[in-house]
Amino acid sequence: MHRGTLGKSNRRAEQGLPLSTNSSVGKMTAQEVRLCGLLLREHFGEVVEKVGTHLLKGGAQNLRTIIHETGISLDLVKKSLCVLVQHGACVFRSGRKGAGSPAEYQTCCDRILRILRYPRYIYTSKTLYGDTGELIIEELLQRGHMTMSGTVKTVADRLTQNMEEGRSMDYSEVSSTFFRLVETHFLQRCPPLAGPEPKDSATPAAPAPPGTPATPVSTAPPTPESFPDCYKVPHVTLVGRGKRQLASEDGEDQRNAKKAKMDSQTHGDEGICWQVNFERFHLHFRDQAIISAVANKLDQTSSEIVRTMLRMSEVTTSPTATCTKPLSANEIFRSLPTSYNIPRPILDQYLTLLIDDPMEFVGKAGESGGGMYVVNMHRALANLARATLESVVQERFGSRSARIFRLLLRKRHLEQKQVEDFAMIPAKEAKDMLYTLLSQNLVQLQEIPKTPDYAPSRTFYLYTVNQLPTARMLLQNCYKTVANLVERRLFESKESKRLLEKSQRIEAILASLQASGAEPEQLTEVEEMITAPEKQQLDALRLHINKLDSAENQVDETIFLLESYINSTASTS
Amino acid sequence: MAEVKVKKETNLSDATEVENRIKQLCQQFPHGITDQVIQNDMPQLEPQQRAMAINKLLSLGQLDLLRNSSGLLYRMKDVQSASKMKGSDNQEKLVYQVIEDAGNKGIWSRDIRFKSNLPLTEINKILKNLESKKLIKAVKSVAASKKKVYMLYNLQPDRSVTGGAWYSDQDFESEFVEVLNQQCFKFLQSKAELARDSKQSPMVQRNSSFATSHEVWKYISELGISKVDLSMDDIETILNTLIYDGKVEMTVIAAKEGTVGSVDGQMKLYRGVNPVIQPTGLVRTPCGLCPVFDDCHEGGEISPSNCIYMTEWLDF
Repeated sequence: MHRGTLGKSNRRAEQGLPLSTNSSVGKMTAQEVRLCGLLLREHFGEVVEKVGTHLLKGGAQNLRTIIHETGISLDLVKKSLCVLVQHGACVFRSGRKGAGSPAEYQTCCDRILRILRYPRYIYTSKTLYGDTGELIIEELLQRGHMTMSGTVKTVADRLTQNMEEGRSMDYSEVSSTFFRLVETHFLQRCPPLAGPEPKDSATPAAPAPPGTPATPVSTAPPTPESFPDCYKVPHVTLVGRGKRQLASEDGEDQRNAKKAKMDSQTHGDEGICWQVNFERFHLHFRDQAIISAVANKLDQTSSEIVRTMLRMSEVTTSPTATCTKPLSANEIFRSLPTSYNIPRPILDQYLTLLIDDPMEFVGKAGESGGGMYVVNMHRALANLARATLESVVQERFGSRSARIFRLLLRKRHLEQKQVEDFAMIPAKEAKDMLYTLLSQNLVQLQEIPKTPDYAPSRTFYLYTVNQLPTARMLLQNCYKTVANLVERRLFESKESKRLLEKSQRIEAILASLQASGAEPEQLTEVEEMITAPEKQQLDALRLHINKLDSAENQVDETIFLLESYINSTASTS
Repeated sequence: MAEVKVKKETNLSDATEVENRIKQLCQQFPHGITDQVIQNDMPQLEPQQRAMAINKLLSLGQLDLLRNSSGLLYRMKDVQSASKMKGSDNQEKLVYQVIEDAGNKGIWSRDIRFKSNLPLTEINKILKNLESKKLIKAVKSVAASKKKVYMLYNLQPDRSVTGGAWYSDQDFESEFVEVLNQQCFKFLQSKAELARDSKQSPMVQRNSSFATSHEVWKYISELGISKVDLSMDDIETILNTLIYDGKVEMTVIAAKEGTVGSVDGQMKLYRGVNPVIQPTGLVRTPCGLCPVFDDCHEGGEISPSNCIYMTEWLDF
């Protein structure tokens, strides 16, 4: 039976169908599972990868099943689950069979796919809050959950490491940056864990409503925002400065590290862990995308106006809203940055131009207060997704196919002859292009019969483009592309593994020689152990890996746009 | 002897007299005369004689036989056309008439057969005959390239048959369309840049970057790159293709009747626009453009590890 289920999942995987039909699990496709596996392997190792992918494919399972089906020892499975829970990739709850059954673990691929976006989060926090912010976010992303005191101390130590001799970073500086991150909701408290036995209806954090103990546990884990203390910073006593780590042998480092862990200073915030609020970052990215689109289409000033409007509605608009709350022109005028000295009538003109633009970034919601304006976020996302689809068709098939694609997007349904006439492309070539697009599933054919027997000579065949399904298909292609890039990167590293190890050894030797004060001749002798062609190969390898890395980030931008569009459409419909 | 009134009788048995009289009547009534009119004029003419005279005139090709709601009409035939048809027999004349009726849209040979009820072989013979006499011509239709429509020799074929300005000899002139496309776009783009550089208030900037379809038409005509005269509708189809290329956007405004270029109280305005995003991240990788994307998986013939497109791209 074990083999049978595996075989079935492989077949379904090849067809690109969702592997799990368990309704409590979000449907995930084979491409997503493959990408999650690669990401887990890179960041946490192969054991966690095995456990993680098994959970992804199989839905909610208890510990015994996992051990039995993956064949990994109990110890390792426990550790892997700890890692996954720590990073929020796995949630656990009581079994479905009733109160006494063992806990079940469940993974969702969304959280794991966020790993791809870590560089973007770190970069954003760097631009907004400087190096301190960058390191705070980096630490939290690497550790998953951490207390505030722990984060502050570690970040202070790291910053001190990079400063000049004799200077160190004060804890209060790091704390203040931490406060600011929490204030703007980029960080949030981890939700308190659900109690193990929901029999006790007085358990405060249990998701099941009290008074109905027989109700099955609700399938969705509570969101962090459902807890009122989500963004409240605890009172913490943190006094001190960062400690510089002395350069020492590896063994001594480990001992020092162990000692730090057993450092029993308490700061008053035990048990309150913090995590990065991905949704807030995503809102920020979405706003950035809209602003840059306005800047591209119109001009800098218009994009500044839209940026002001979005900043004003940061806290008043819910994340899933299709448009911001209406803002009056007077408010906008008052909130514009002072460097933009636009007189009031000119601002009105810019707003009118924004409304008239066919992309409909901004809409008018009323006349009071000098005109009430909203930013149409759903419409903007839809337009950006559409531009993405058009860009893909253009780069892949040429500008004439892109012309046909745009024509079909505009006119919805067209016959073959009409396509040729509107696009002004000769009949033979137009036919060829349409069939290519059809075979790639970017364009669909709609049959409208004149007679009930669907005879081909008496049926209208209309070409059409459906934006949402096409966007979903492209998203799966993006996942596959990223997985391909990651695999290629791992392959390239594996090929040159010997060379990489050799260069690492030589660097270690060099570092130790320098530390113990060796003569220059010895250093050059060691450096020459790497031959010139090997150096070239190393450089080429570095270039390749950098290129693949940056390509992954670029594809992730496309993934973000398409995902935002799909989620926004799903929540509005 | 009493005075015998000598009736100046036309010798009615003289057939030519009858024919001449009928011809005179026809000339009097250019729209045509009916049997009734002839009877009124020559009451003593017997029906057989009348019929004989009319038939003689018809066969000579001097009279045209037409039918209208009230009966048969006889009309004087044009002398020139009468001379053309000399030597042709009735069938040819019939076919010729059918083709003439089709005007400048032309008529297909099968339709001629339906209208004239003649067998196909006869039709073909007649058509060949008429063509050699240079009375009709065959024009290839642009819609179905094997289909030939026939029309009178000196008629201009209709647009629907030849395809209009974009077709020359049934070939779609894609280069011509491309050149026009680029020229229109350049015109609109330079107008938009001028407007942007003028640094006036944004509303004025945007309005001055618009060009009406009439302006574009005038510019293209003055450029003189087209051998054929292009109408404003033609230019609008070209501008529509620019919209589908994503380079141009259009608005419609209400215009006073009589302003240059307005059609039915509306004017179409076009302006060049910038793209809203850069080429997206997916297409900057080889996988985004790969023709064998669907066949690629780890461990197969085509896989990321041995992908030649990736190798080339990495070494670029």
